[in-house]
Amino acid sequence: MILIVNTTSDTSVTEEIKKLAAAGGFEPEVIEAYGLNISHCIGCNHCWLKTPGECSIKDDYEIILKKIIHADQLWVISDTALGFLDHKGKNIFDRILPIATMYLKFVKGQMRHVPRYRQRTNIGIIYRGEGDREYLDRWSKRAALNFDSKSLGVFKENEVKEAVSCMC
Amino acid sequence: MHVLIINGSPRVKQYSNTDKILEKFTAGLSENNTTFEQYEISDKKQWDDIRNAYYANSNILIALPLYVECIPGLLMEFLETLTPKNDGTKISYLLQSGFAEGVQLRCGEEYLKKLTARLGCEYGGTLVKGDNFSIRFFEGEMRDRVTGQYTEMGREYALNGGFNTDKCKAFTGYEVFPLHMRIMLGTIFATLGRKMFTKLARNWGCTKPIGYRPYK
Repeated sequence: MILIVNTTSDTSVTEEIKKLAAAGGFEPEVIEAYGLNISHCIGCNHCWLKTPGECSIKDDYEIILKKIIHADQLWVISDTALGFLDHKGKNIFDRILPIATMYLKFVKGQMRHVPRYRQRTNIGIIYRGEGDREYLDRWSKRAALNFDSKSLGVFKENEVKEAVSCMC
Repeated sequence: MHVLIINGSPRVKQYSNTDKILEKFTAGLSENNTTFEQYEISDKKQWDDIRNAYYANSNILIALPLYVECIPGLLMEFLETLTPKNDGTKISYLLQSGFAEGVQLRCGEEYLKKLTARLGCEYGGTLVKGDNFSIRFFEGEMRDRVTGQYTEMGREYALNGGFNTDKCKAFTGYEVFPLHMRIMLGTIFATLGRKMFTKLARNWGCTKPIGYRPYK
């Protein structure tokens, strides 16, 4: 399953993705998250040590979390600020901690948390505005380590076609 | 010198590892007439005051935990409200994480350089150090053993006005652990570490296994 989370107010990118996907014979699951109530991560560690796998913040992020654990790909569409994802886009990634456990192991020579679920979810970014592409690319590769997966790449909003070609 | 210190942790002050680090850091910082004022990003009621202090101060230190390889979403939300200064203001950073190796924080460190330029400020360097996850679980001497090292770094900052010194760079410790340490630590993670985390969880009232899957 391909999951698209749009944190921007503009739905034209998701509309285009749906159209291109339909032409390609697949249907991604789209969550328009701009209007949803999604808090930042407060770093309480409850999802690791008090209620394993469950976030202490009861908000709309649970909808996304329940989908991520079945998704082969997660694409986040985000506005940018100060060259990076804006806070709405970053919050989608910060809140993924429940998919990891507290347990630790070494992966390719670096410490990582042991994943909670079997599913591996590759991640992709589609951004709007003045993002620092080179940095976003570097960051998305690092961020993928948190999913025990790989980055599918970073695309500008006018490169949706290229992004969709990575969804097959 | 007067320093504006912003604790960029989203965790409330009481439980903030970054705050415990700053307690020790500022002890060293203020030994020789350097003064500071400190604010907490986790308390949104302080945001107007932090913004005013950002515009009024020319030496700024942002202390933050690494969240998914970069800065926490809440700190990002605050930074989005600032306008570039372009007046020679220097921003330095204290970047800390749970993961122990320096390599884990480099992607975050890279962004802090870029952020500084976006804010029209000068980069005073980043003090990079991991292995801080345990701070909130320790008290007294045990905690001091982890946080106490930061007092010397506070002195260094007061002396140099930033972190661009060899001493601060060396403070990071291992960039990656050598193989023999990885083998040793990996064994501990799989045995004693699991027991220790399970015990911590029990102390927090956890009734489920740490690897529990709430969603099917």
